[in-house]
Amino acid sequence: MPVTPLGLIAANRFGYGANAQQLSVASKDPQTWLKQQLTSVNFDPSLASLDDMANYLVEYRVKKKEFKKKGMNFKRPKAHIEAARHLMIDSTVQAITQDNSVSWRLLDFFSNHFSVTAQGPKMSAIAATLERDAIGPNLLGRFDDMLMSVIKHPAMLIYLNNEQSVGNDSRIAKKRKGKGLNENLAREILELHTLGVNGGYAQQDVIALANGISGWGVQKPASDKTAGFLFRRAAHQPGKQSLLGTDYAQQGVAQGEAMLHALANYPATARFICTKLVSHFISDKPEPALVAKLEQRWHATQGNIKQVMYALIEAPESWLISAQKFKTPRDFVISSLRLLDVTPDNIKALSRALSMLGQQPFKAGSPAGYGDKAANWDGANALMARIDWAAAFARSRYAKNIDSAQTQLIAQLSTRNYTLVMRAESRQQSLTLALMSPEFQRR
Amino acid sequence: MSKPVKNTMERRDFISGALASLALWHTQPFAQAITTPTTTSPKLIWIVLRGALDSLETVIPAFDNGLAPLRPTIGLSPAALSQPLQHGFALHPSLKNLYRWYQDKHLLPIVAVGSGFEKRSHFDGQDYLETGLGSIDHDNGWLSRAISLKHKAAIAVAQSTPISLRGNDNVNTWYPSKLKHSSDDIYQSLQTMYQDDQPLLSKLNDGLKLRQLTSGQQLSKKNGRFSTLAKGCGQLMAAEQGPDCAMLELGGWDTHNNQNNRLAKQLTQLDDGLAALKTSLGKHWDNTAIVIATEFGRTAKENGTKGTDHGTASALLIAGGAIAGGRVLGQWPGLATHQLFNARDLNPTSNTFSWLATLLNQHWHIAPKDAAAVFNNVPLYKEQLVS
Repeated sequence: MPVTPLGLIAANRFGYGANAQQLSVASKDPQTWLKQQLTSVNFDPSLASLDDMANYLVEYRVKKKEFKKKGMNFKRPKAHIEAARHLMIDSTVQAITQDNSVSWRLLDFFSNHFSVTAQGPKMSAIAATLERDAIGPNLLGRFDDMLMSVIKHPAMLIYLNNEQSVGNDSRIAKKRKGKGLNENLAREILELHTLGVNGGYAQQDVIALANGISGWGVQKPASDKTAGFLFRRAAHQPGKQSLLGTDYAQQGVAQGEAMLHALANYPATARFICTKLVSHFISDKPEPALVAKLEQRWHATQGNIKQVMYALIEAPESWLISAQKFKTPRDFVISSLRLLDVTPDNIKALSRALSMLGQQPFKAGSPAGYGDKAANWDGANALMARIDWAAAFARSRYAKNIDSAQTQLIAQLSTRNYTLVMRAESRQQSLTLALMSPEFQRR
Repeated sequence: MSKPVKNTMERRDFISGALASLALWHTQPFAQAITTPTTTSPKLIWIVLRGALDSLETVIPAFDNGLAPLRPTIGLSPAALSQPLQHGFALHPSLKNLYRWYQDKHLLPIVAVGSGFEKRSHFDGQDYLETGLGSIDHDNGWLSRAISLKHKAAIAVAQSTPISLRGNDNVNTWYPSKLKHSSDDIYQSLQTMYQDDQPLLSKLNDGLKLRQLTSGQQLSKKNGRFSTLAKGCGQLMAAEQGPDCAMLELGGWDTHNNQNNRLAKQLTQLDDGLAALKTSLGKHWDNTAIVIATEFGRTAKENGTKGTDHGTASALLIAGGAIAGGRVLGQWPGLATHQLFNARDLNPTSNTFSWLATLLNQHWHIAPKDAAAVFNNVPLYKEQLVS
């Protein structure tokens, strides 16, 4: 089967690109091929778990104290740093090497939607476990379940300070001075995770939700060797809460849970996330009719993410021939490595590349995550960095693989640009031009 | 590449074609605009502190008895307030260079300023501040409208154009690179390839031009540190044909916990960066106005985690050789509960956009009506900001 334009769109717009054989399959029936790609994401199972990382942290803290007593400085063991680095880059590595690349795009979408940043010793150790424990397992299920897992995950609770939040009338606040409510996580749940900033909530709703999830904290691995969710009743704000006009009279952890369930199922949440999805996969200016189709499927399936993706795949608006998205640095690097069929063996170099291009995993520095639009990434300086990275990559030993990427290049590049690529003075220059071609930069 | 170039003639044609397109630099808007300024043209630098600066611990109202009870654990001790300002305020001890500027009458803090944004969301608050229209428009920034009026060029020290400078073609971004530069023939070949792709071509040409201006500055381990960025910013502006306008940003102000240490570190970083900026601006310092703003302030009362939460009014810092400083402006609203906004935040008594319009009028000689129009017709203030 020859490669068709729709086959290319399936591979490039929805995924990170595909090899010649996959492209041929995709070209036969692009929609079915894509749907079959929506399968579970499998991380490297040999890497550290949240508990492992938490225990590393405990060990570090204990040793540091011991050393400090002796007037010495304890440096974080290399093994700890390596473990964290592996965790943070693993989804990128899997996105490069696994066939079901649309699922890895979707994982990246939600990982960025629930962005946590590796800053400070704790978050540097555990940031990446959120994606593995809470997002990946719920990727093709209901958004409701994903939201609940994410908000109860230690990485999110710690990142947005909820593990320190104490209801102002709770037992702890009454006993100990200087303890009180922290609104950070509650606000971001409303603004970034569910309703969106125009979703119709007010300051009193932020406080109600913060009260509802007060006491949602993290187990102390020092005593029980695990680091899961812990509800601290003594830190929970007692009493009824009113969120968006609905009363929540539940006791204890059930109150916050009921609030999150409700938030996940508000129409504003469906609209907000469906708009973001269309913006991520199809166009910086999401077509309202297309967003409406996704919303409809969302409502019909109680927010089933796989079904919403099916709606995106089935809509003709998703298959316009002209490319409307400029690749983010992450997508550019991943698709470049896939084009050359590279299995990344140097994960340090891979993280460095993403860092230099401004999109290192778990380093967005904001709970809003990385920007997803061309304007976020297509500045003059950013383009120069992209060219320089492409040229450096083309100097690596992988450059020769361009010979086996001809099917993709011929199908994707205009005749003029393909000619320019082919008559470059060296294989390295040829590869740089191919990667920096307008056709490869956009999708 | 498997197909060798057929003959030398064809290859020579190809190269001369690439060189011809290299000459396109000089017809690009950026190159055009940056030929106009002279050493005496006033420079404007806009610095956004992302994350909401706690003004109560920056331009500290040491005279206000309401402060200490609101900040039982994070408040600075009177002994730490060694840098007194006018009207009983004090400058945070980490702002050493800025205090020297204040003494030289080149720093003008304005207290209790707000943009009019009242929703306490960082991202919207920043977008609102950068849009400057009393609403949010991701493609239309106030600074971009201001430079349009004066046909000036601007540089954003960022990986991508921030909202403040969106909506104008005379804007470039610059951010130091750790990557080794490619060989010139790569850039030339890409110019040929981008011939029919105007967006990519103009970005590439601007990128090459920028590299020329910063002499291809590349960074070592300190990459991304504010003082390095500020230094590069000053170099770009001071270069022959350098732009008259620049934007810098510094994040990390969202001090929900452990505020004392974090704020001291942040303010030191800001202070060091501003010193580097002044040095690299050289003789242009005398014509420079710097405006440092943040999206909103923080709660007057400290929270349960030795920090502060999202608030409303904060401080605006105006500085530079062109500024009539050494004073503290702004009406102090007080810190008693009934004086606070929503009984929790410092109450804004003047508007960020009005101050910016006033500065545009005085510093860039934009007619009052036009300066007001940049911000959807805000009133201008009567205070003299520039010397």
